[in-house]
Amino acid sequence: MIKILIVEDEEPIANLIRMNLVKAGYQCETASDGETAADLIQEGRYDLILLDIMLPKLSGYEVLEYAKTVDIPVIFLTAMGDTQQKVKGLKLGAEDYIAKPFEIAELLARVETVLRRYKKTERNLKFLNIEIDTDSRTVTQDGQTAELTTKEYELLLLFLRNKNRALYRETIYESVWGGEYTGTGRTVDLHVQRLKKKLRLEEHIRTIYKVGYRLEC
Amino acid sequence: MKLSWKLFFITTPIFILLLTLFGTWMIQENFQNSMDREKEQCMVENQMFQNSYELTQNTLTSAQREEIPLQKLVEKFYRRQNAQDGNARILSGDGTVLYRDNGLELTHHIMEQLDDTHNAGCEIVSDGKNRYVVVMCLSTSGEYIETAKNVTGVFEDRMRMYSRYQTGAFLMAVFAGGIILLILFAVMRNMQKLSRATQQFARGQYDTGVQIRSRDEIGRLAADFNWMANAMKMQMEQLRSEVSRQEEFTAAFAHELKTPLTSIIGYADTIRQMELSKQETDMCADYIYRQGKRLQALSYKLLEMTLAGQQEIAFREIRAADFLEDIKKTVSVPLEESGLTLKVRVQDGVLYGDRELLSSVFINLIDNARKATETGGTIRVSGRRVPGGYCISVEDEGRGISPEELPKIAEPFYMVDKSRARKEGGAGLGLALCRKIIEMHQGSWQFESEPGKGLRVTVLLGLPETTGRRRIRRPHQDRAEPGMPKKRRSRKIH
Repeated sequence: MIKILIVEDEEPIANLIRMNLVKAGYQCETASDGETAADLIQEGRYDLILLDIMLPKLSGYEVLEYAKTVDIPVIFLTAMGDTQQKVKGLKLGAEDYIAKPFEIAELLARVETVLRRYKKTERNLKFLNIEIDTDSRTVTQDGQTAELTTKEYELLLLFLRNKNRALYRETIYESVWGGEYTGTGRTVDLHVQRLKKKLRLEEHIRTIYKVGYRLEC
Repeated sequence: MKLSWKLFFITTPIFILLLTLFGTWMIQENFQNSMDREKEQCMVENQMFQNSYELTQNTLTSAQREEIPLQKLVEKFYRRQNAQDGNARILSGDGTVLYRDNGLELTHHIMEQLDDTHNAGCEIVSDGKNRYVVVMCLSTSGEYIETAKNVTGVFEDRMRMYSRYQTGAFLMAVFAGGIILLILFAVMRNMQKLSRATQQFARGQYDTGVQIRSRDEIGRLAADFNWMANAMKMQMEQLRSEVSRQEEFTAAFAHELKTPLTSIIGYADTIRQMELSKQETDMCADYIYRQGKRLQALSYKLLEMTLAGQQEIAFREIRAADFLEDIKKTVSVPLEESGLTLKVRVQDGVLYGDRELLSSVFINLIDNARKATETGGTIRVSGRRVPGGYCISVEDEGRGISPEELPKIAEPFYMVDKSRARKEGGAGLGLALCRKIIEMHQGSWQFESEPGKGLRVTVLLGLPETTGRRRIRRPHQDRAEPGMPKKRRSRKIH
């Protein structure tokens, strides 16, 4: 199981992140200050660290440098929209940053991306009779290759990464197509219908009235 | 053209002109004196000649007169002279030369001017080579007696003096011009220093100062410049620190705003996207509620600060005893709930300021003390008169604050114990608000603390006359050395 360390001094935020990551199937531990974080990093093997910058005792930057020595990827959380801070964090070796306030889906996507980059996730995703090879981007169902368009493939990945989570049309649109969701047009619905049909997922992808879709298992 | 050259080209010719005029006048005067002396002498000589001539003529009988030639007669009393030096002639009434001692013949017009009343005349004539003073008189016997004296030497003396004086005047002019230039350059060097300093200042080097030690107007100008530069520098620093404070505030504010927002958005997002158990939903809702409350507290405190900042302070006399009594009433309920005792000791006296704003300061301070003190503790508030104002201190027996943290506690959004402050519903703005109000009253405050033993905050409020606006004094108005104007410390802690 993938172990993630959450370093955040604001208890509500730490709890929020942990709650969502646990639901997404990760194992989480939290630290509320820099020193505790450093101790935890030294003791336990973590696959990823989510790190706040403004921390008591040791600053996030210092923890970041320490984490680099043991080669654990770091995503830092920042309340500052300040580009300088982001640049500083990335230069120090952070993998990514998440600006507060953030959407849960965004948090999960970024965590997933970094973990994938570090080959910490399974190369092959499995769901029922569907297998996905994320390297070659091929999908097979019952041993037969399914022909999916790029958008459909990405849509499938999004559903698999957010199992049992209601995905709003805007969230789907923003993460698959990118850009602002205007609320009009049926692009999302159309693609979801095609995906359902191609992979025979009618039973599992549920339409939620006025919201969007959810992959249930 | 440079000012020094301008001044040089104006002063030097004036100096030379005056020198020339004075010198010419002196030489001319001297020449005139010599000339007058020569004339005088000539007149005397002529007179003597005439007297001798007439005396000789009178002693002779008419027969003797016929017999003895005039030449011999004159030689009795007049020695023949060198023609260069002059001559002596006797002319008859019709202009015939009766006697001449040498061949010198000078043309003049004295004869026409002589008559019965005016029997002697004098003229300066030139024969082309030399100049002579010619004196002619009419003797009683009707002859004209003419004597002349060579005065070329006097004229030559004048020329010599002129040329000598020219050399002298030239040297003097050169010397004086040099000195003038040196003085001007010395003055101008100071001016250049000032000019350079001004340029540097304009380029943004605000710590530029001018070192000019002279006590003249330029020294004074330099002192004024330094004074101005210092005043500007101080203002710039104030502005800069104001700006950086503003920036820090904005950054801290953004952080304070985004943190609860992150929780609210995140938990709400979680509720709407996930199927949660009742317990989990309650927890999320609780977080949303608390963080919403936190935003509310933040906005109230900010509003309070903004309003305090906009208000014009009406300085009124407030009786210290009444003031503290009112505060005691206000805080008694929360203090009782926390199980704390409040002890107030007041020395009679008056405060000057806005009652409501000052109340808010002490309510905030007492509230901080309440939060820091364990149940059963005591909070002491004491007011006492001090020279130049009134002093109120709030003392608790709480956790205290470490020396490293003391300077930071009044910064907006600074919290010594974040998690605890959050639970108490603090926004981290209380002391910042207090500081603002105390600043507006031109008061000062001081923190004394020992970790674990408590904290004492002492607020000093001045009298109206000492609460005037800070003024920077000019260097020579008060004869102080031009230097950094003393900055009045209006507060102990920034």
